[in-house]
Amino acid sequence: MDLTPLAAGLAMGLGAIGPGIGVGIAVNGAMNALGRNPDASGAIFVPYILGIALAEAIGIYSLVVALLIIFVK
Amino acid sequence: MLHVEIQAEPLLQIGPLTFTNSMVGALLTTVLLLLAAWFFLRRASLVPGRVQSLVEFPIEWTAQIVKENGGTHWRAFAPLVVTIFIFVLLANWIGLLPGVGTIGYHEMVNGEEVLVPFVRPASADLNFTLGLALVSFFAFIGLGVRKGGVMTYLKHTFIAEPAYMTPLMTPIHIISELSRLISLSFRLFGNVFAGEVLLATMLFLTTAVVFVLPLAFFVPAVFLSLELVFGFVQALVFAFLTMAYIVLALPEHDEHEEHADGADPHVEPGADVERPPTHSTTDAVPGAA
Repeated sequence: MDLTPLAAGLAMGLGAIGPGIGVGIAVNGAMNALGRNPDASGAIFVPYILGIALAEAIGIYSLVVALLIIFVK
Repeated sequence: MLHVEIQAEPLLQIGPLTFTNSMVGALLTTVLLLLAAWFFLRRASLVPGRVQSLVEFPIEWTAQIVKENGGTHWRAFAPLVVTIFIFVLLANWIGLLPGVGTIGYHEMVNGEEVLVPFVRPASADLNFTLGLALVSFFAFIGLGVRKGGVMTYLKHTFIAEPAYMTPLMTPIHIISELSRLISLSFRLFGNVFAGEVLLATMLFLTTAVVFVLPLAFFVPAVFLSLELVFGFVQALVFAFLTMAYIVLALPEHDEHEEHADGADPHVEPGADVERPPTHSTTDAVPGAA
């Protein structure tokens, strides 16, 4: 039985948990800050986008692993 | 059956050069940008009209953010960041046009008939995103060296703050610099490629039932608008990460931005302190409205 699709699915699915939580925390912090001080949206925006991108990078690594599992024989 | 090809398919072979369909996408993006630049610069005036301000808006908006976050040397790299943003944005959005990825010719691969599209969005090819990441990589190294000198840059990058930690920290620094290359290129590629696969899957799933259930026609449209947002966000992320890496490599970054990837520590405590209860309710109303 070929378990390759299962391996790729598990790699992506398990690898998405951490970044999901991380991005959630980042959005939570940004929304809190925005709710307290709506004028600070400009100052929050760039660190927020960068923080999300860095949290998401971990998910991208698992995507790379999943793609490698599927396409590299 | 749904067919997904992770690498760009070759269309033409001229000697040792292979011309792939993602190169058509990149060429299309470049030509569109050049045509737009020529067309709008020809009739550009000092006092912008309605169309001109619409065209200038994304450029001014990005340049403004670079100015606010880029420190004293922001003029040196603002053109690069704005160009990366506009180029990646257009390269992402070209994949959402009808006909891109769907018009092509049929080819037999391993006894299976597959469609080879003529145009593939450039950022759905790892070669393109890796090339852009290399541009960004050499930009932040080059600017760091040019503004601070070679020795300052090397010291800044490779010598840790307590000098005895250097043997431990230097390999970590080298790996983290190189992993920027990987994460920059794979982030853009992964997002755009996954978006293409998502759209193809949704169309594939809904075309089967669309004659029974006409409402299913709108399901791909939802994902199409989602991809519109994602393409924008990824272009923004690529441009701003390039900016943040450049700012970190510049010699005087310590006074301006302690750490580009952390949240700004000055915003929240300040907002907490100078906010008496009565003031907060009046302040919250315009923000909520």
